[in-house]
Amino acid sequence: MEDNILEVKKLKISFRTNNGTVKAVRDISFDLHRGETLAIVGESGSGKSVTSRAVLGISAGNSIMDGGEILFDGKDLLKVGEEDMCKIRGDKISMIFQDPLSSLDPIVKIGQQIIEALVLKNRESRKNSRKEFNNMLAILKRNMIESSDVSKKAQINKIIKTFNDFNIEAIKLEESYNFSHARCEEIIASINDFLFKASKKQRLDIPAFIKIYLSKLEDIKDPYFTYGYKEELNKHKRILNEIKIKNRHKFSIKTGFKKVFKDVDLATRVPKEVNEELKEFNSVLEKMLTEAKPNFFRIGYYVYKNPNSKIVDKPIEEINDYCYSYLNEHFLNVFLDFEHNAIKNSYNKALEGKKKVVDNLETLRAFFQKGNLKKRSAGNEIKGVSSLVYESIDHLAIIKDSVAYTFATALKSNIKKYFYNESHNAKEEVRFARQTKKRDALIAKGKKIDWKVEPKKTVSLDDQIENIVSSIDRLEGKYKEDIAGKDNIDFAKMSISLIDYFKEKASGAVYKVTNVIARERAIKLMEEVGIPEPRIRYNQYPFEFSGGMRQRIVIAIALAANPDILICDEPTTALDVTIQSQILELIKKIKEERNLSVIFITHDLGVVANMADRIAVMYAGKIVEYGTSEEIFYSPAHPYTWALLSSMPDLDTKEKLEAIPGTPPNMIYPPVGDAFASRNKYALKIDFEKQPPLFKISETHYAATWLLHPNAPKIEMPKVILERINRMKERAGEDNGL
Amino acid sequence: MDYKDKGVLLSVQHLCQYFKLGKKELKAVDDVSFDVYKGEVFGLVGESGCGKTTTGRSIIKLYNITSGNIYFKNQRIGAGTLSYQNAIKEAKADAKKKIKNLNISTKKNPEQAEQNNEKIKEINKKLAETIKKNKEEITKALYDQKNCDKEFSKNLVIENEKKYKQIFEEVKNDPVKLQEAKKKYNDELRIAKRSKLVTQIQMIFQDPIASLNPRMTVQEIISEGLIIKGVKDKEYIQKQVYDILEMVGLVKEHATRYPHEFSGGQRQRIGIARSVIMNPEMIIADEPVSALDVSIQAQVINLLNDLRNELGLTILFIAHDLSVVKYFSDRIGVMYYGKMVELADSDELFRHPVHPYTRSLLSAIPLPDPIYEKKRVRITYNPLAEHDYSVDKPTMRELIPGHFVYCNNAEEKKYKEEFFS
Repeated sequence: MEDNILEVKKLKISFRTNNGTVKAVRDISFDLHRGETLAIVGESGSGKSVTSRAVLGISAGNSIMDGGEILFDGKDLLKVGEEDMCKIRGDKISMIFQDPLSSLDPIVKIGQQIIEALVLKNRESRKNSRKEFNNMLAILKRNMIESSDVSKKAQINKIIKTFNDFNIEAIKLEESYNFSHARCEEIIASINDFLFKASKKQRLDIPAFIKIYLSKLEDIKDPYFTYGYKEELNKHKRILNEIKIKNRHKFSIKTGFKKVFKDVDLATRVPKEVNEELKEFNSVLEKMLTEAKPNFFRIGYYVYKNPNSKIVDKPIEEINDYCYSYLNEHFLNVFLDFEHNAIKNSYNKALEGKKKVVDNLETLRAFFQKGNLKKRSAGNEIKGVSSLVYESIDHLAIIKDSVAYTFATALKSNIKKYFYNESHNAKEEVRFARQTKKRDALIAKGKKIDWKVEPKKTVSLDDQIENIVSSIDRLEGKYKEDIAGKDNIDFAKMSISLIDYFKEKASGAVYKVTNVIARERAIKLMEEVGIPEPRIRYNQYPFEFSGGMRQRIVIAIALAANPDILICDEPTTALDVTIQSQILELIKKIKEERNLSVIFITHDLGVVANMADRIAVMYAGKIVEYGTSEEIFYSPAHPYTWALLSSMPDLDTKEKLEAIPGTPPNMIYPPVGDAFASRNKYALKIDFEKQPPLFKISETHYAATWLLHPNAPKIEMPKVILERINRMKERAGEDNGL
Repeated sequence: MDYKDKGVLLSVQHLCQYFKLGKKELKAVDDVSFDVYKGEVFGLVGESGCGKTTTGRSIIKLYNITSGNIYFKNQRIGAGTLSYQNAIKEAKADAKKKIKNLNISTKKNPEQAEQNNEKIKEINKKLAETIKKNKEEITKALYDQKNCDKEFSKNLVIENEKKYKQIFEEVKNDPVKLQEAKKKYNDELRIAKRSKLVTQIQMIFQDPIASLNPRMTVQEIISEGLIIKGVKDKEYIQKQVYDILEMVGLVKEHATRYPHEFSGGQRQRIGIARSVIMNPEMIIADEPVSALDVSIQAQVINLLNDLRNELGLTILFIAHDLSVVKYFSDRIGVMYYGKMVELADSDELFRHPVHPYTRSLLSAIPLPDPIYEKKRVRITYNPLAEHDYSVDKPTMRELIPGHFVYCNNAEEKKYKEEFFS
């Protein structure tokens, strides 16, 4: 099974407007694998941007989420609150918008806009890490106690306390290390600035700069960080002091007068030897940064047990190895035993729960399928099941089970919607009857009437029930899968990854990014996205950039917080060919480097061919074809895909282009049958009457058209496309031959 | 090339368009020359900011050009003065230098004084001549720049008078008919007086939203040109508007609506209708499809193609989407930073791109073909590394008939070798 990072299930979105509700997205489902690019292609107004915005939780104010789920990391993004969404947006999922000018703040400097997310995210994650660490530890403790005899309770308490305490010790050590590390980064940033200015032949106040370095150098005293470099640092300290004295301002009454009253700075040209020395100093510091980080989780335990030991004086690898064996011997083996049992216990308990839930779901579904719900009985039904589902969740699992976590809230909100619509429909009926009666009476009197009766805005209750049942189905499917795969669980691996989780959270709590460090990172990022002279560009405003550069800045901002998913909403539509291909190459490169998952939205099929692993073609709020890029381009099956392909000229096109006649349908009154039928010259009679389901062509290729039905007449794709595909295949063959 | 027999419609010669940026000067278009033949589609491509739009706008006289000449139907419609001013400056500097040298030589050898004095006189005379010549050119250019339309309308008025003289003669005896004829004569005279040569070139703008006045109905937008031209017959205007709407694929009912009620493709159609109603000989289409969806792009391109076939229009097609340009144009000019770097028939250009910039541009075209795309390597163009123009200055050269490249002697040799090998 592929690893899905994001799943969109039966999403329906509509917009309330003055003319009626526009059904922008009608029941679409897709999933995004980790590290792949999914392209969504369609005309404007087909609902591709709406979908992507719903993922990010920035839908317009008049939007209504009619149903469906967007599952990400154990949460349904449609139902999380604004507070939680803030943590996901930009951090986990970020977006590159279509228009680079309007997505940048015109009065904030570029650099500030890039580091904003970095600093904010860091502050937030520091706060949360500690909390998550404690929560998980409490759950683990509970499970340990449950899984073993009563007699061992005291031992477990002691173990957990030790674990917690030595982690605190480790955090303290790491904080001190991080502090020195950060100071070191800051000095490097400052020296880089200094050297850059010096290279531009600017006059600089040398003693002032060196004073800053020296004071920051004072702070670099963590024994683990400076191990092996102490002498070198001392040497540089001495040299810097000498330089400082040598370049000291020669104060006379005259210069003092100037400084005080005329505000003339005492900057001078930078001598060559100062330049050389700073370069050397910088290289030493950079070398220090590349040293391996000690494993504080291990060292923490050793220091906790032997507070007075002199372990610091050894090389870091030696310390690591020594502490590793020490930790295993004295603590971890025992701990792992308990942990292993706890995880097994928790998993088995969850499995039992799942079995129970699956048994119960059958009756629950029957209850809802019957329809005609009553508030009280429905409430009672779901109360029992919700608690059962909660018990069936394995809380010690690190990868959260999205479906189970979101089941209860999804069900509740669906039922709420059902009852709201029930009462609302009744009201609408009454209003409609009253207005019709009034109108009829007036007409009977022979009056001229210039108003119409507003049509009924009722929502079908069957749809609502379908929503409820589908969420039940999904849970059942997931749980049955889990129960079937119960024998393949590797508990040893799980316990190791749980300890890794603790480690990560512990070091996350003390990982601090200051503004100066963030600035240096931002400059690196700007270099990465291909902006020349980032040190000057950092302090400029958006209007000083050209279109392509602006788009690069937007990409840099999107990447600043290191997201898992990147949504690109027509990132190159406003750019010309050369810049477009540069930006596309950039996105592709970054995607491969960081293992990002990308959702790429565009209307240009040419752009997609290079980028996408899989393509979803959207029309009128539905996905009409879905497959890998080779399948879409070499064997398209839906008439809309044919039309899109044949309406764009390629370099060998000579004949008249086949434009798609007409315009997309009005989505206030979506057509009954296939939405594309009225513009489709291959439309069958059934296309106007019934919506086609997604027919499966191959394992990865689906298309929603009646032409694929076994009873449908055989229709070949248009000649233009056939010829083009043949041409492409020939070209590919030639290339392979060479 | 059958369209070449029909003769040149528009001829742009050494067009320069500089903009002042504080103390600096931005050379948006620098010495661009090309001819557009009657009935052809001439494509201009290049990245954004390379001056294609400025070229289009200079031709239609939205800017006063800095230097160069633009001939439309063999009449000069635009002329710049900078080249003449520079010539005067150069001549002056040259003369000054020569005189200085002569003066020095006089000081050294006093016996040559008389001879030198004569020489100086001669130089001064020559200088005065050049200045006079160039100043005359400047006055001419300024006159043409300002009054090209006046000449055109004067001619039209004279023609009109000739035509109606005959008619008046014929209907001299019938007072009713005479009056009708007089009324007609007055109408046409008014139109003739107001008509301009430049209105025979019309422009379609890039952004269909920004280029339509949101407070005018479609009818008002389309008929505005006719009204300014002096047409007062409302029924005639109405009929024309309806005809044009039908021609561009809209319906009568659309005439009373406002631009915001239309989709992007329809707005672009309104823009096209507005330019076609003036019955132009030439249309400058400034990126008419780049703001549109793929499916609507095809509709607009097909429409332009139909109009071209029906009305025999000449089109200057400015775009950055190369596959569209290739499909639509007969000849293509590639621009880079204000210079025309390559000009050839479209098939020829795509088959044998010569200039490195053209090659890099062609290598950047995305195609709907995943296998091809995965192999496509983009060629980057770095002008500093590619060319050495320090000694050998480049000009536009013709490699083979109809294929021009901007290069210097060494490069021309290299290109030719590549070309024929």
